[in-house]
Amino acid sequence: MAHSITFLDPAALMRIKSLELRAKVVVEGLWKGMHRSPYHGFSVEFSEYRAYVQGDDPRYIDWKVLARSDRTYIKKFEDETNLRCQLVIDHSKSMTFGSLGYTKADYAATLAATLASFLMKQGDAAGLTTFAEGIEEHMPPRNRPGHLRRIIAELERPAKAAGTSLALSVGQLADLLRKRGMICLITDLLAPVEHLEKQLALLSAMGHDLVLFHLMDRAEIDFTFEKSAHFRDAETGAERFIDPQLVRENYLKRLQAHRDTIQMAADRHNVEYHFCPTDQPLEEVLFHFLSARQRKKASKSSAARIAT
Amino acid sequence: MSWLFPLYLAGAAAIIAPILLHLRRRPPQDRVEFSTLMFLDASTPVPVSKRRLENWLLLLLRCLALILLALMFARPFLQSESTTASSADQATLILLDRSASMRRDDLWKRGVAEAERLFKAAKMTDRMALAVFDRELTPVWSFEEDRNTPANRSAALQGRLAALEPTWSGTQLDRALIAAVPSFDASTAKLKKRIHLITDLQEGTHLDALRTIAWPAELTLNVHRLDPATNDNFAIALAARDEEGNADALIRLRLSNTRDSALRDFTLAWEKGPQTDSITAQIPAGASRILTAPPNTTSATTLTLSGDKYDFDNRLFIAPPQPRAVRIHFLGDEATRDEAAAPLYYLARALQPTATLAPVLSAGKVMPAQKPDLVVISGNTPPVGVHASLRDFVSAGGFLVEVATAPADAALLQTLTGMTGITVKDGDANDDYRMLADVKTEHPLLKPFGDPKLRDFTKLRFWKHRQIEIKDASNKIVTLASFDNGRPAILSARIGKGTLIVMASGWHPGDSQLALSTKFVPLLYGWLAAAGFSHDPAATLLVGEELPLDAASVHTITDPENKTHSLKAGEGFTTAQIGLYKVQSASNTQVFAVNLPPDEGRVLPLAPQKLAEYGIKLSGSADIAGGSETTDERLTATDTEQRQQSWWYILLVLLAVLLLETWFAGRGGIPKWSAQSSVRSPAES
Repeated sequence: MAHSITFLDPAALMRIKSLELRAKVVVEGLWKGMHRSPYHGFSVEFSEYRAYVQGDDPRYIDWKVLARSDRTYIKKFEDETNLRCQLVIDHSKSMTFGSLGYTKADYAATLAATLASFLMKQGDAAGLTTFAEGIEEHMPPRNRPGHLRRIIAELERPAKAAGTSLALSVGQLADLLRKRGMICLITDLLAPVEHLEKQLALLSAMGHDLVLFHLMDRAEIDFTFEKSAHFRDAETGAERFIDPQLVRENYLKRLQAHRDTIQMAADRHNVEYHFCPTDQPLEEVLFHFLSARQRKKASKSSAARIAT
Repeated sequence: MSWLFPLYLAGAAAIIAPILLHLRRRPPQDRVEFSTLMFLDASTPVPVSKRRLENWLLLLLRCLALILLALMFARPFLQSESTTASSADQATLILLDRSASMRRDDLWKRGVAEAERLFKAAKMTDRMALAVFDRELTPVWSFEEDRNTPANRSAALQGRLAALEPTWSGTQLDRALIAAVPSFDASTAKLKKRIHLITDLQEGTHLDALRTIAWPAELTLNVHRLDPATNDNFAIALAARDEEGNADALIRLRLSNTRDSALRDFTLAWEKGPQTDSITAQIPAGASRILTAPPNTTSATTLTLSGDKYDFDNRLFIAPPQPRAVRIHFLGDEATRDEAAAPLYYLARALQPTATLAPVLSAGKVMPAQKPDLVVISGNTPPVGVHASLRDFVSAGGFLVEVATAPADAALLQTLTGMTGITVKDGDANDDYRMLADVKTEHPLLKPFGDPKLRDFTKLRFWKHRQIEIKDASNKIVTLASFDNGRPAILSARIGKGTLIVMASGWHPGDSQLALSTKFVPLLYGWLAAAGFSHDPAATLLVGEELPLDAASVHTITDPENKTHSLKAGEGFTTAQIGLYKVQSASNTQVFAVNLPPDEGRVLPLAPQKLAEYGIKLSGSADIAGGSETTDERLTATDTEQRQQSWWYILLVLLAVLLLETWFAGRGGIPKWSAQSSVRSPAES
């Protein structure tokens, strides 16, 4: 199905100055999302059955099932309330790198704006959090008129801080988010990931639906530099003389190890992981994202059916 | 392949520079911003020994450009053609300047040495000739002599050159070159012809006549310019006399200084004259000044200019005043010399000695024993017995002025002219006075009145006059002036070799106002000039000009070196030195001052290329003799190279290579940068 879709070239997309317009262009080309709210409340739409345990409200007992099978089940209904999605954007200096005419930050902002626009268009609530060495800005999820514009205005603001402290930022985020919802973490993950895993586990345990967009530039992925030069770290400012031909192999090996670590951590904590090279069309990223959501929902439904 | 300037080939070694530059890598200069260094290890810079060449195509183009540049400066030419050219025998004519300006420094010695060197460098099979020139060409060693005795030509030439020295003439290079062209005789027809010109090539040399000839295409000219230590020079020459001024004795001079000269101060003095009479003044570089000579108290004949290094043009010879004696005889009473009413009184006072004329006035009723130059008759009619002798005097070339005062004068006029129809009557007594109405100022006898300023005769009144009537009027008698009643006032006739002037009225106050007017003295001196006694001082001559001699008489000439030359009648004499020439003839002695031609003092050197403007084919770059080792082989090589002009092709290739290099460097050498991140794109670098 993905092959039948003609995606917009990211470079062409990034040439559109207005972030809002950019997001609109991407969203228009997609169909309505297939996600559901993780809240299981009391609604007309049936969700699943579960065995009654003491303490459950007897109002929700399915009497018809009790009559037929003499088993007591509680009916669960899909929450009709909208999805609360918190977009968490990495605003560190390393995001300002880009070899394709636009930076990772541009890509991240467009992705976030597209997601926000897409969600709010179908009545969901979207919030925005930017972080670098810690949380910089935090806008709780809302679905009010003008909220999307505020999100976009915040996304257009350039990064201030230099370094990245993923673990600290995610920890702070856990404190800020009281209600469960979806958290879309958009970052290049160019920081040690040892402590991150712990924070991801915490968020996951809090019932948040975690989606991790891992952005990388093509130059970072392949390390196609040829000339020897002094390489300067965008975040720390440290300089190191590098002969790319000598260090490429080692670099690629380490990067792969880094990605593997992240992948494993994500798998362990039920985090939806998307690896996004910045030369990948945004529609494709969204398409993968939505497909993954649908699969997840389907697997949940089947699990529920097996349970019955 | 040969090279005209092989030394320039060493310039090709400059290719080491781009090679080194391409080897040099620039790790410290390049900085790349990268998102993180967490996966990168530091590398050590590559040691020099392990450096590799970058952009080898660019390097190749750059090296090629440098090599082509060196080749172009080395001026390559094909040896094969040159060999055949140099193997051909040459006919070489050496022209050596010996004008006065070659007296500066050791120019003459250097010129002679250069000529000898050229002779020695020539092959035995070459034909050599030598000529010296100043205002004209003088052969020293001809092609014919060279053909007959080629073996000892160098020694023979040395002997002949030793006998020569610079003259005092000006330089007329045009005449010398025009005369030199035909000296290549038939024996040199098949040889390569060349003229070596050894000269100081001064600004004052004459070149104009070169425009009148077409320079032979096969004849090339090599200029060996001799430069003295300095070109700063003062020059002195006689300036034209001031016609407005009346000071005949004042000598006007023109002093000039060369352009860009460092000299300013000069002193002008008469030779051996007192210091007090000298003039010390300044003249700016490139300027000329007209000034009057200092007072000549010691009757010196040489003006000396000092203040510059070279004195060949610093002397100006002025001939001493030589008043010429003119014997004038008044045929009348000597006793009237002091009578204020008598014609002789006025004549004696009008004929005053001048710088050039010394009139001697005698008076007597008979002709003196020694034949006078001019005879004047006024107031009394000579007796009939004298008439014949007077006619003989005039016929033999004498000058007679007769004032008709009485009808009896008609007989004298008839005898003198041989015409019978001449009558003399007293004029109209009724008339108050007469004036001159028709004056033929264009006539030689009235030459002084040629100037319109002097033609006003209205104040000249004649109280008494005679009517001279000529019945058989013919062309023999010319009326020079008439009265306002149409009667002739002054008549003139050529009688034999002499001249007769007849006046119808006298100049004394009894007859007219002529003697008291301003017209009398010019009229008299005009007649003297017509009689051959010029009032003008003798013009100065320049070296090389002929002395103005009377063709009819025999002369003895004493030159400035006190050598005497006896000349027969009709022979001419050309001056060759500066100084005073004394010319003695049977009748008188004259001294002529002969000076250097003024152009010879203009010593600034001309560029040899100036000759090319006159269509002369110059061979290669003109050499400054003594400064470079010029050999015939070298000249031939220059010729060959100039014919082939291969450096043009190299220049074109060089330009093409440079264009290619620019294009290549512009295409591949300039890195492209990310517009937003200022990070070099690895995909494009």
